Amino acid sequence: MPQRLRGLVLAAGLLLPPPGLAVEKVKLGFVNSMTGPEAPIGENLTHGADLAVEDLRREGIEVELSRQDDGGKQQNAMSAVEELATGEGVAAIVGPYTSASANAVVSLAQQYQVPLLIPAAAKEELTRPGKPYVFRLNAPAHVYAEALLDAVLAVGKPRTIAFIYESTDFGTSVSAAGKELAARRGLRVVADEAYQQGAPDYRSTLTRIKALRPDLVFMVSYVADAILLMRQSRELRLEPQAFLGGGAGFDTAQFQGEHDISELVFSVTQWTPDTGWPGAAEFAARYAARFGKKPTYHAACAYEAVRIAAQAAARVGGDPRKTRDALAAGSFSGVLGAVRFESFDGFMNQNRHAMPVIQYQDGRAQTVSPPEFARRKPVYPFPGWK
Amino acid sequence: MLAPPPLPASASAPRAGARAAGTWLAAAAVALLALFPVLVARPYPLHMGVVLFLAVLEAAAWNLVGGIAGQYSVGHAVYFGAGAYAAVMLLERLGIAPWWGIWAAALCAVLLGLVVGTITLRLRGPYFVLASIAAAEVARLAVLHFRAFTHGAQGFVVAEPPVLRLPGLSLTFDGKRPFYYLTLALAVLAVAVNRAVLRSRLGYQLLAVREDQDAAHSLGIRLSLVKNQALAISAALTGVAGAVFAGYSRFIDPDTVFSLTDVSVPMVLYCLAGGAGTVEGPVVGALLLVPVSEALRNPRGLVSLGLLPAGSGVVGFVERHLSQAHQLVYGLLLVLIVLFAPEGVAGLLRRLLRRSRARPRPAPPPA
Amino acid sequence: MILFLQSLLSGVLMGGVYALVGIGLTLVFGVMRIVNFAHGELVMLGMYLAWFLFTRLGWDPYLSLVVVAPALFLWGALLQAAVVGRALHALPENQMLLTIGLGLAMSNAAMLAFTADYRILTTSYSSSGLQVLGLSVSEPMLAAFLVAVGVTAGLYLFLLRTDTGRAIRATAQDREAAQLMGIDVRRMSLVAFGLGAALAGTAGALVSPTYYIYPQVGGAFTLKAFVIVVLGGMGSVVGATLGGLLVGVTESLAAVYVASDLKELVVYSLFLLVLVARPSGLLGKARA
Repeated sequence: MPQRLRGLVLAAGLLLPPPGLAVEKVKLGFVNSMTGPEAPIGENLTHGADLAVEDLRREGIEVELSRQDDGGKQQNAMSAVEELATGEGVAAIVGPYTSASANAVVSLAQQYQVPLLIPAAAKEELTRPGKPYVFRLNAPAHVYAEALLDAVLAVGKPRTIAFIYESTDFGTSVSAAGKELAARRGLRVVADEAYQQGAPDYRSTLTRIKALRPDLVFMVSYVADAILLMRQSRELRLEPQAFLGGGAGFDTAQFQGEHDISELVFSVTQWTPDTGWPGAAEFAARYAARFGKKPTYHAACAYEAVRIAAQAAARVGGDPRKTRDALAAGSFSGVLGAVRFESFDGFMNQNRHAMPVIQYQDGRAQTVSPPEFARRKPVYPFPGWK
Repeated sequence: MLAPPPLPASASAPRAGARAAGTWLAAAAVALLALFPVLVARPYPLHMGVVLFLAVLEAAAWNLVGGIAGQYSVGHAVYFGAGAYAAVMLLERLGIAPWWGIWAAALCAVLLGLVVGTITLRLRGPYFVLASIAAAEVARLAVLHFRAFTHGAQGFVVAEPPVLRLPGLSLTFDGKRPFYYLTLALAVLAVAVNRAVLRSRLGYQLLAVREDQDAAHSLGIRLSLVKNQALAISAALTGVAGAVFAGYSRFIDPDTVFSLTDVSVPMVLYCLAGGAGTVEGPVVGALLLVPVSEALRNPRGLVSLGLLPAGSGVVGFVERHLSQAHQLVYGLLLVLIVLFAPEGVAGLLRRLLRRSRARPRPAPPPA
Repeated sequence: MILFLQSLLSGVLMGGVYALVGIGLTLVFGVMRIVNFAHGELVMLGMYLAWFLFTRLGWDPYLSLVVVAPALFLWGALLQAAVVGRALHALPENQMLLTIGLGLAMSNAAMLAFTADYRILTTSYSSSGLQVLGLSVSEPMLAAFLVAVGVTAGLYLFLLRTDTGRAIRATAQDREAAQLMGIDVRRMSLVAFGLGAALAGTAGALVSPTYYIYPQVGGAFTLKAFVIVVLGGMGSVVGATLGGLLVGVTESLAAVYVASDLKELVVYSLFLLVLVARPSGLLGKARA
């Protein structure tokens, strides 16, 4: 079978390689935060990548994944990319996880002409034009805010909104996009509170917000702060028309498990198992069986990024420059739906990814928007704490 | 490092001879390092060189205040961050090229050092340590908060610096080599500054302050003046390190350049592990800890540096068992250094050297 | 007014727990003149232990104190005997290096043992609040505060009334003199480090129902404990209690009246201001 054709067939995931066919070997780099403060998320990416390597083997692509830990530090991410691009001669690099690390290595990818496929970092600037070797699978920060606000404005008529967000790149980027969009949709921003992650007590901030009686409370928080903020909101009886969680911490199995506080909260995510994307539900089941917990969107993004990078590299025999061309020209399909890296609206090599909006109903995450993915109707307004 | 020193010129001046030999050895080492990029073109080894030289620069800068003057600042990230932000913001906002920005970075760090020093240097012992941490945290939180001016957590993506044109020479700052030579030169400069200070009047005053502040004061040493002088020099070098780091990594944000755990603490560790208050301490400490932590993080790097054969079992072992434990090993290593090499690794080496040298000939009674 | 009172209340409740962390650190410093950079990691161990007992055996975190406190006491004493005690006469900078190393080792060992995942301990009262006079009083924080007050009172009695307590205070006042008076200074160091660790662990267990647990959680507590202890004057138990409340209330009010992301900046600035005015803290002696 001609190589290109085989690649296409494999990419579509339609066929297993006929027995006796030579196995394609591909070498990829994978930069991730395995230690350090981002390690809890990094673990999901690690598992996602593990599963991808196994599945690729079944497709006839033998991936040698050279893993590098950046500990969440830019300097380590740079060391990792230097090493992968020039020492190990990989066809492409998947990662890094954090926006800061990704930002530090985009110019290296460009310099060494090795494609960098960013699986889950949200910083807008990463895929600005002028960096043809940089690709991003996930949707950038502004899409989080857009998807959420559009979902709520489709069912309700809120007039005021309060923002509370961690003062990180992700938190400020998403809420900045949210504030801008809110103003355009005629919402009045009554509170704009950044906070330092990791504080045990947000009660005074929340008390202040409660006094302003906002219709919507938009929170952008990391894993565990999301639970803290909602617990303390319940304690203080903060009761807006809707709680909007801007991804990250509001989209974890742990948050979902906190039925007292997660019920009827909206969140936005890069991926859910029930979107109907090819293999998504099956991926979730296998992941849960294998690792004993539900996959987060990070896991799905890392899984898909490793698969796409491997498939593109396998098509062209592992040359980094040709792999870049294969990524730029190819179209892929898998657990994140159809993937193409396009130039639009000031982005380059950016997958135009639509983000599902979920709401926790009866203790489960249900996709409620946009209409093409929705499985349930959203509940609006929030009826108050039980 | 353990090479036996050449025979002293005369038996009566063994120390001067050893010192001269040390200088020659250091000069030879620097010459070799300067030749290295000519022999090796691969970026990864050069990158490790940059990381290492930056560590030496930071450790040597810290040594002036922490080692020689005995004021254990754990907040030097404030100067590092100030330098990084000064250089980057001048480039971004006013288009001022980094080779001018680097001076601004030093100046900025010195001014900040005067402010922080005025507040904190009166304090003693743990009070000073903790006040220095607080000062750096105040800086980090302020830069995070005042977004309109600093971009807050979003930080700055650093633009490509313009070409430096000197008469008969034009330099572009992309790729590894310019940064390799720049950081090597700065590291050498910082070590030379340490040496010059240690031999100067200021150095003796600082050593007196370190041993006993009250006694130094009663000898007529103006405590806050000499401590602030040391801090100013130290802050300037640290600020330059920050500016170079920003140019090299091409991205800065407050949590990176004002970091307690990633900036303030490592430079203290390098210096203390090597031997605080000595010229060679910061160099030895950085030479020890930087490669160890990189090798634990990324054992394949050793293969690509040609230090281990490709199929080496060491790589597999480290990857299998230590991929998440490298920080643990690092921590234990620090504990071991304190327990078994309390005067730093440089001190330990010196002691071993002295013992092996003393063996053939009965040692003269210590002077 | 409600806003002010509510913030004040949250600040005081949080401050009680902070005080407990601070007292542990100040005891260790008082007796051994060691600034323990690994103190937050001891809080972290207390949190994991409480979490473990809760998830495996279903023990309520407040009940688990009967295991957490003794276990941390033993661990602290062991650390003192095996590691820290050996460096007691080392230079202060080496002690700093040592405790930083110990902290790194503990947090990364916890990561190997429990993975880097965030652990959330959800009790029936994790998000309950009592409504009193228009104010909302967090049930778990109120409970934590009351336990912290009880433990602190017990510690005062111990230090003031018992022979061991007196010996610890004597050692803190003047190590050499205490030794000359026949006090077993080494044993006092063991007890002090053990108590410091037990208090840190207790604080960890107390916040576990409302906070979250991960291997690096200790760092934030170490810094906060430093501020508390220095504010109060190093080695002063009363000072650390006051310092804890002061930090809790300052944070809480600053979040409302300055800005949420500046509350720590306000605390650090206050801390520096106090040191400018009183270089040995509010209740510290003239020379450290």
